[in-house]
Amino acid sequence: MCRRRKYLLLHFSLQVRFTMNLDRSFYVPAKSILHSLNPLTKLTLVFALISFAFFSFPWMAPVLILPVFIMGFVGKVQKQYLNVFAKLILPAIGFMFIMQSLFLPGGETLVFKFSIFDIYTETIRTAFLTVSRIFVMISSFTLLLLTTHPSELMSDLTGRGLPGQFAYVIISTLQIIPQMQAKAQTIIAAQRSRGLDTQSTFRKRVGALVPLVGPLVFGSLVEVEERAIAIEARGFTSNRTKTSLYEIPDSSFDKALRWVLVLLVIISIVSRIWLS
Amino acid sequence: MRIEIKDLHYTYPGDVKALKGISLTIESGEQVAIVGQNGAGKTTLVKHLNGLLQPTSGSVLIGEWSTTEETVAKLASRVGYVFQNPDEQLFTKNVHQEVSFGPKNLGYESEKVEALVEDALTLTKLSDQKETNPYDLSPTWRKMVALASIISMDTPIIIFDEPTTGQDAANIERMANAIAALRERGKTVITITHDIDFCAENFERVIALAKGKVLLDGSANAVLGQEEILAQTYVDPPQLTRLGLRLGMKEVVRNQEEFLNAYKKHAA
Amino acid sequence: MAIVNLKNVTYKYPLTDTLVLDGINLQIEEGEFVAVVGPNGAGKSTLCYMLAGFVPHFYKGELTGTVEVAGVETQESSLNEWVMNVGLAFQNPFNQISGAKYTVFEEIAFGLENIGVPRKDMKERVERALEMTGILDLAERSPYSLSGGQQQRVALTSILVMEPKVLVLDEPTSQMDPIGTREVFGVIRTMAERGMTVVLAEHKMEWIAQFADRVIALHEGKILLDGKPGEVLTSELLDGKGFGISRYTSTAREAQEQSLWPNNKNLPVTLDEAVEGFTPNPSPSPLKGG
Repeated sequence: MCRRRKYLLLHFSLQVRFTMNLDRSFYVPAKSILHSLNPLTKLTLVFALISFAFFSFPWMAPVLILPVFIMGFVGKVQKQYLNVFAKLILPAIGFMFIMQSLFLPGGETLVFKFSIFDIYTETIRTAFLTVSRIFVMISSFTLLLLTTHPSELMSDLTGRGLPGQFAYVIISTLQIIPQMQAKAQTIIAAQRSRGLDTQSTFRKRVGALVPLVGPLVFGSLVEVEERAIAIEARGFTSNRTKTSLYEIPDSSFDKALRWVLVLLVIISIVSRIWLS
Repeated sequence: MRIEIKDLHYTYPGDVKALKGISLTIESGEQVAIVGQNGAGKTTLVKHLNGLLQPTSGSVLIGEWSTTEETVAKLASRVGYVFQNPDEQLFTKNVHQEVSFGPKNLGYESEKVEALVEDALTLTKLSDQKETNPYDLSPTWRKMVALASIISMDTPIIIFDEPTTGQDAANIERMANAIAALRERGKTVITITHDIDFCAENFERVIALAKGKVLLDGSANAVLGQEEILAQTYVDPPQLTRLGLRLGMKEVVRNQEEFLNAYKKHAA
Repeated sequence: MAIVNLKNVTYKYPLTDTLVLDGINLQIEEGEFVAVVGPNGAGKSTLCYMLAGFVPHFYKGELTGTVEVAGVETQESSLNEWVMNVGLAFQNPFNQISGAKYTVFEEIAFGLENIGVPRKDMKERVERALEMTGILDLAERSPYSLSGGQQQRVALTSILVMEPKVLVLDEPTSQMDPIGTREVFGVIRTMAERGMTVVLAEHKMEWIAQFADRVIALHEGKILLDGKPGEVLTSELLDGKGFGISRYTSTAREAQEQSLWPNNKNLPVTLDEAVEGFTPNPSPSPLKGG
């Protein structure tokens, strides 16, 4: 098999794998406590965790690391969560940790030297703190998305007053992404068939951007107009009160939990201010 | 420029076997239509001709070049491919620039590019639209711009993917005229089409694909009369062919002239 | 009582000078199945959008004359009232999928949610609509995983579920393969047989000749012909104007010149009519003169 063919096969299969990830939503269907919570409750939980990590005592963030992992197991999405953790979260925060440890000023106690870099305990501690905050934030959003179907989330929020257009933009964007990718692939193929060089020098590949992005943008504008008419024809801008096909349950447990979380957030922030 | 396809197999990622051993030869200057239901492998086959897809096994030769040894950009100098949706190709600010894009990529000098562009615009009746933005034209005319952009590349082989979808009779006629002009110049024209009447009236050879294999391959008259076999891949014979078959005529006809000539003999 | 009433209608799009529709007078009775034929640019799409209220409410532009559909008059209404009465489907099925829903069932309920139909009625209406168009088995699939023909049927169902009084279709089979075309025409025929008022812009003359009650030939914004399919689709007035005449018709006309087609016989549009006319010495039909 010649070199070029190997490249093409690899290129193609990566595209397909990436597409498959976004094809259905991020959501993992399962029966867990997290899945049965009302979407707003989960959203509140996410914001509560972020508040604890960022606005309360500094030791909160590292302490929350383990509970967040446990939540992944409780939600029965541990496999998918660990997948995201390994591929996305860990490299990102790992990189951040190293950069901060090497470059943050204000260190006193030298721990060791690494070529031209001096590494201090204080900088390591600060770096670890920052990184755990980021971890809590990204992880809690990830768990939310893994245990909540986007249409369930949007349905619930729309029922509580979120404008319909807002929800529409979010969901249609999520669904359009794989279609856009497929379209982009076709455009690339079409322009390559016209002799556009996408494989040689860097300069040529940059020059190839306009013929690739142009049709994507212009073609999409044409589609958008038709889609606007289509949803208009189905009453999208009607001024009647909208109803919804599914009822999203909101139990007393959900309501109570939300109040408890809000309370805890207030307590954690106030006590931090009070004790500092 | 001859096309040689030898025992071509292609499997998409995800183990979908799209082509299961296709062998055929297309000589220089032939006019070939490829028909068959969606999923039979038509587009998959044709994408191998300019290197967009690489064989899982088997080989494809364009002249003396093997498609596994050359880049798509290089193969584009021999094989022009008109995609189905013009909006997936058009991006420049006027028709002239758009039609110049292909030949420029192929590295021709500006006089040659100019000449090729002029010629392509004449063939597609777009000579007076040079300064128009392609997106200001109707979808029908955008299709002609896309056609012109490939004709201007002056390739010996040119492929049309569903040229008549969504077109009205006037534009189909324009396209048929452009294809006739290409035929006169000795170009090899290959088309994928669902419009079996268009196929019958403009192409000499018909290849019917079904489930990744060649079901029928022969002259248009020979292939298009085989109602039962074609039905396997959801293809109906052309209108006049059907008429001839229903009337019990011995010859298989594929256009008005052939029908009337055969009918005179039949009715006599 | 005409359900569609157009009187002396002219229309031009914003920032243009050409009249896309030029003096249209058209009355359609409830339950009629009307086909509209014409070359691209003749005004078929504009007419469809006008019957659905999008011209002028969405496209703006200048409209003169009266447009009244299902009791709603253009000049005195807003788009909201139109969408309740007139359903519109067009060429590209992909662009008619809202993108807001993950399953076909939800997609069809989308319109009902928008107009505030109570939840308890929604499920029943959606199921009925799915059965009517024969896509009950697609209910749990993602709209994006479907073939063109399936998507177009979903689009049609999404409109039919809103129970419009008039169904307007702008070349719904243009982008379909033969199987998809068959599927979509099947749904349209079912609706027409149930008494729905249908206006269909199309190029496929053979099918129209078999199932439409009436054909309107549009040319450069004017109605050139308006009558029975057999008469309109074989008229010589259509020659040389970009109409895609059926090959049976043009062949029979040529055959007539060569005395191969009986002079007193109507020109055919469909295969059956052509076979009948070209069969030497057919047995005389008891209904016609023979």
